Amino acid sequence: MNYLWHILVMINIYIILALSLNLVAGYTGLLSLCHAAFYGIGAYATTLLMMKADWGFFPSLFIAILLTAALSLIIAVPSLRFKGDYFVLATLGFQIIIFVILYNWVSLTRGPYGIPGIPIPKVCGIEMSTVFRYFLFSGVIASICGLLLWMLKASPFGRVLKAIREDEIAAAALGKNVPLLKMAAFTIAAAFAAVPGALFAGYMRYIDPTSFTLMESVFVISILIIGGAGSFIGPIVGAVFMVILPEALRFLHIPDAIAANMRQIIYGLLLIILMRYRPQGLMGEYEFQ
Amino acid sequence: MLECIELTKSFGGLKAIDRVSVAFEPKKVTALIGPNGAGKTTLFHLISGALRPDSGEVWYQGQRIDGLPPWRIAQKGIGRLFQDVRVFDKLTVLDNVRVAFRKQTGENPLWAIFRRYRVSQEEQTFTEEARRWLTFVGLIELENTLAEDLSYGQQKLLAIARLLAAGADVFLLDEPTAGVNPEMVRSLLTLIRHLPEEGKTVVVIEHNMNVVMEIADWCFFMDEGQIVAFGLPDEVLSDRTVKAAYLGI
Repeated sequence: MNYLWHILVMINIYIILALSLNLVAGYTGLLSLCHAAFYGIGAYATTLLMMKADWGFFPSLFIAILLTAALSLIIAVPSLRFKGDYFVLATLGFQIIIFVILYNWVSLTRGPYGIPGIPIPKVCGIEMSTVFRYFLFSGVIASICGLLLWMLKASPFGRVLKAIREDEIAAAALGKNVPLLKMAAFTIAAAFAAVPGALFAGYMRYIDPTSFTLMESVFVISILIIGGAGSFIGPIVGAVFMVILPEALRFLHIPDAIAANMRQIIYGLLLIILMRYRPQGLMGEYEFQ
Repeated sequence: MLECIELTKSFGGLKAIDRVSVAFEPKKVTALIGPNGAGKTTLFHLISGALRPDSGEVWYQGQRIDGLPPWRIAQKGIGRLFQDVRVFDKLTVLDNVRVAFRKQTGENPLWAIFRRYRVSQEEQTFTEEARRWLTFVGLIELENTLAEDLSYGQQKLLAIARLLAAGADVFLLDEPTAGVNPEMVRSLLTLIRHLPEEGKTVVVIEHNMNVVMEIADWCFFMDEGQIVAFGLPDEVLSDRTVKAAYLGI
């Protein structure tokens, strides 16, 4: 049974990641390749505050969210001046820089050795020490994040982001402060990405930089593309699908060495088929150009 | 009053706008005519902030506005209908208009979450007002249709409704009737003719001289980046220079 709860914990984590990326990529039309960097900053900041400052999970998470948002501004201010492909490249650069910092700042992050023994989060004195408890815990947090992101999506803020995605020149001609709104979307998405980072660290009780690579960013984008960008339900469907798919392969009794490659091939094929026959994804409304 | 003083803009060696000084009469329809490449659209770009002039000034209601970003100029009340319309394709007709309103509390993400009551009250007001403008332009029946599913002419009507909702006082209309079927042209012209009654100033780039005669109170003729003639539409259209440069007579 623990196996099922484990899958559901991972689904919860990826749902928050995909929903937050959806705010910037699906609604605003800014394809960001550095979402895993914010995920990693959230994980490391929470971990370090819990372990070095001996703070509880929630205060650490709160500071991690603020820190991630502040760092996202550093990339947002210069990058949002770039258009289209150049913006994507700037976020790629940021993703690589963060990975290199996590990998090489050994005195702080222990670099490739990772950080073991991360304390288990506690809620009202109860340790989230079983997989089932962690599933409930991550489920509640994912629901709160989902609710907040849904409120943003359904508000005039969400509507103006979609207008910017459709035509930012026309949006500016209506008096919308396009650079500020894009920056707000980017920063909020980054702040939300810190939450699954903290959840992941508290669940695995060990983190190292390889969990926050460019491939992880690409994986979250794949969730968005397969589920459907620009819709609220799309990223949820995508996260469920993408987390369950490799697990389903286990039941085909394919040897482990082959299964890992099969998974990559299936992801690739899926993306190609979707781009050809349903470019807006399973549930989405927006096609990446 | 919207006024341009000695505006100049060059692209490489080409002077697209050459020391143009022009003032647009408030609450009137002014037509801007001239052959292709005369600099009419460039003048709109300079006024709306899409391009910065090399020299010269743009003034609106006693404030200098050249050099401001397009969104700031739009907030001051200068609205623009683009030649290629630029509606928000994946938004409904109603949302295209609702998004245009200025000073929406819910556009601040914090207020969108923490001031839900106020935002929903505002939304009701904006929705009613948006419906009023959609009725004004004749698109109310299509409020739930995606903008991409409208005809080209309907999209132009929608773009005008959007400008009305944005509270624009000056309407820069770039070829509003181009590519629109004759029936829809009639609706558009009626609408444009009614804009001054709503207190709006209209500047319209137009190639169809019958349209100019029908809707314009005042007319400027541009050629090679300069204002060559101005006056009442029939005076300008009967000017010998205009006939020679534009109509080839």
